[in-house]
Amino acid sequence: MIAYTLLAGLLFGLYFSLVALGLNLVFGVMRLINLAHGDFLMLGAFLAYGLYSSAGVNPVYAIPAEIVAFVLAGVALYYAVVPRLLSSRDPEMLSFILLFGLSQIIEALAVIAFGNDQRAIPATVFGIHPVSLFGQTFPAAWAVSAVVSAAAILAVYFYLYRSRLGHATRAVMASRDEAASTGINVHRVSAIALGAGLALAAIAGAFSPFMLGSIGPDMGIRITTVSFAVIVIGSLGNPLGTVLGGLVYGLGLMLMETYFPSWANLLPYVLLILILLIRPSGLLGKRVRLA
Amino acid sequence: MPRGGWYSVGVVLLFALLPFVYGNHALLFNMMMYLVLAQGINVLFGFTGYLPFGYVGFFGAGAYGASLAILLVHLPPVPALFVGAAVSVLVALLLAPLLRLSGAYFAIASLAASEVVYYIVSNPHLVSLTQGPYGISLAQVYNSGASYATMVVVLAMALAAVVYLRNSHMGLALQAIREEPISAGFAGINVVRERTRAWLLSAALAGLAGGAYAWHVSVFYPKSVFDLNISVFAIVFTLFGGVATLVGPIVGTLLLYGLYNWIGISQPEYFQLVFGIVIVLLVLFLPNGLVSLLRRAKIHVP
Amino acid sequence: MSPSAPLLSVERLSKRFGAFQALDGLTLELAPGEVLGLVGPNGSGKTTAINVISGVYSADAGSILLDGRSIGGLPIHRRAHLGINRTFQVPKPFRGLTVGENLEVAAVYSRADRAEIGKCLEFLELAPLVGREAASLNSAQQKRLDLARALIARPRLLLVDELGAGLNPVELQRMAQTLTTIARSGVALLVVEHLLGFLRELTTRVVVMDAGREIFEGSLEVAARDRQVIDVFLGG
Repeated sequence: MIAYTLLAGLLFGLYFSLVALGLNLVFGVMRLINLAHGDFLMLGAFLAYGLYSSAGVNPVYAIPAEIVAFVLAGVALYYAVVPRLLSSRDPEMLSFILLFGLSQIIEALAVIAFGNDQRAIPATVFGIHPVSLFGQTFPAAWAVSAVVSAAAILAVYFYLYRSRLGHATRAVMASRDEAASTGINVHRVSAIALGAGLALAAIAGAFSPFMLGSIGPDMGIRITTVSFAVIVIGSLGNPLGTVLGGLVYGLGLMLMETYFPSWANLLPYVLLILILLIRPSGLLGKRVRLA
Repeated sequence: MPRGGWYSVGVVLLFALLPFVYGNHALLFNMMMYLVLAQGINVLFGFTGYLPFGYVGFFGAGAYGASLAILLVHLPPVPALFVGAAVSVLVALLLAPLLRLSGAYFAIASLAASEVVYYIVSNPHLVSLTQGPYGISLAQVYNSGASYATMVVVLAMALAAVVYLRNSHMGLALQAIREEPISAGFAGINVVRERTRAWLLSAALAGLAGGAYAWHVSVFYPKSVFDLNISVFAIVFTLFGGVATLVGPIVGTLLLYGLYNWIGISQPEYFQLVFGIVIVLLVLFLPNGLVSLLRRAKIHVP
Repeated sequence: MSPSAPLLSVERLSKRFGAFQALDGLTLELAPGEVLGLVGPNGSGKTTAINVISGVYSADAGSILLDGRSIGGLPIHRRAHLGINRTFQVPKPFRGLTVGENLEVAAVYSRADRAEIGKCLEFLELAPLVGREAASLNSAQQKRLDLARALIARPRLLLVDELGAGLNPVELQRMAQTLTTIARSGVALLVVEHLLGFLRELTTRVVVMDAGREIFEGSLEVAARDRQVIDVFLGG
């Protein structure tokens, strides 16, 4: 039982790392909390669902379409509002509220387009055979989701630490002003990071039918909160710290589901509050700004 | 009369008298409820700069506190209302450490806190205490007229609180804290104490509104009194009208809740769309709300 | 060293930020009405000293005594009540409030009346701006508002952080006169300043800091000839 719980926790932990990774990347580069993060994940879920239900496309093959669509959306969103916001009097609060408005718009449009019904992609899309891991058997969908998550995390690692664009991105994360003064095109770097952040959310969305239950237009705000809990546990602004937060959260969730199922819903919220109050720097990394 | 006093008297009289000539009492009641909540948000966000996404947690705590005082302790509804407010204030005291967080962190942490309260209240293991997910029935004390009158009184209290803040040193001190907490300390203000007082006042208003709502509807589920949309509505109404004024949240609530009533009940998604667009436009073009248009025209706004 | 019993006495004050030792055993004394300049290269700990004395940061070690009474553990507003106040390198007025309201806020706790607020506004040449929103003031006006907010709180010790930076020569001259007037009324001033010419108008006594420590104390003229001081300023 405990071995099964821990292994399942790892698989879900990797997946939750992916769910939250984009939020943390965007926070790291722009110092703003994308309150519409969960709604972009929801859109990614509906895109994968649409491709599956209309053309039988396996969610794994939907990934390239997700990347193209959401990188473009992110870049467009950036240039449409962010430069204007950054020059305002209280960029942090105003952008937070604006993204909240955007989250309402996305949710409303999703209801208008898809209706309020909950949708699902059958897990048999990955075959009917369970996967065996260290003597425990798991649904294939869990394993596929965990592998995709690990691959996406590696891709982010190579993007940040092994590419010129990533070098510039990390410079902007360290200090927007100094990066600008060394000739880095801060707007371009940030726009791409926002695009990458949304694309990561969308990829996570493609696998949400298997990992988070059925999909519906109203799933966004809950996912944003869970994602925020994950990145606060790991380390705000440090994308790779997200993996630690995701694993802690995944393991905690599986342990709760196994031993205290009726209280499992409380986990992300309690963790979020406790970490913010007791160790605001997260398990590794920088401090949260305090009032 | 202090600045804004006559406006407040006018609004309270309006809601006290309208039921005699206008039949949609549910609309009037809900509008009052949102006026109270919007002013509660105004106390906290407008005057101190903390955006409480989880504000509905106090509303729900007040609704449950009052209901359980009626069901378990057999208090009459009006005293039970104050028990509800006391429960909200108690929850706020427990959560006061959240005020150490700034900006968006506070907003999300308060949202998480309201979810915690919701999941505890609705937990199936607590059925013997809270009825868990099965909700509350106060059918034995149902009284639509008396509960309506109670909400009118609660509205008067909320408006009085904001009129006080608009005219007192405390209100000025809170705004100073919002603008520059360190300088506020050097101005001699006990920053922690003042903003905690605002937080408790704001929680008490939501608790009273929650209790009056519970009595008025008399049958409700935990989901309906901890519905995040209640926070969202109250926040947007306040922002739309203009924070840190008496009139802003009133105007915002009357216009937007009126709009909700017009298109939102039958087609909530279209209302939500309009709502989202209003928020985005507001941030980009009118961050201080509708009343800032009046200020630009050099009209004093209480 | 000081002419009378010290108002402020700071002993072996230390403050560390992560791996960076911002203050490393700073000791200094200040008498009522005295003006002490605090100079040193960037990062030498001058502003940290002001932040720790005023309570914005807490010290890791050392003591801060006001009238011989330890104030190291007190929050900012308690220190303000006891008579410590300050200005900021980047002024921090209440931006959304008017100039008048900015002072009213501080007047509540010091019980300064309307006449006193009016005098203070006159003194700092802010009277014509009384109804303007603080955010709309230029930087020199915001600096004077910062100073006015501190004065209304009736300080006995005023910590002044880089008040000269960004002022033009005429404004500098006026500011020097203003600060001198304040000191003559009995307020002790601890002045962090890069502009030595400006500082010379205010005082002769300076403490030179480097790497969180005092490396020189004495007159500005002697400091200018001190080998170690010259090395620190030129060699870094």
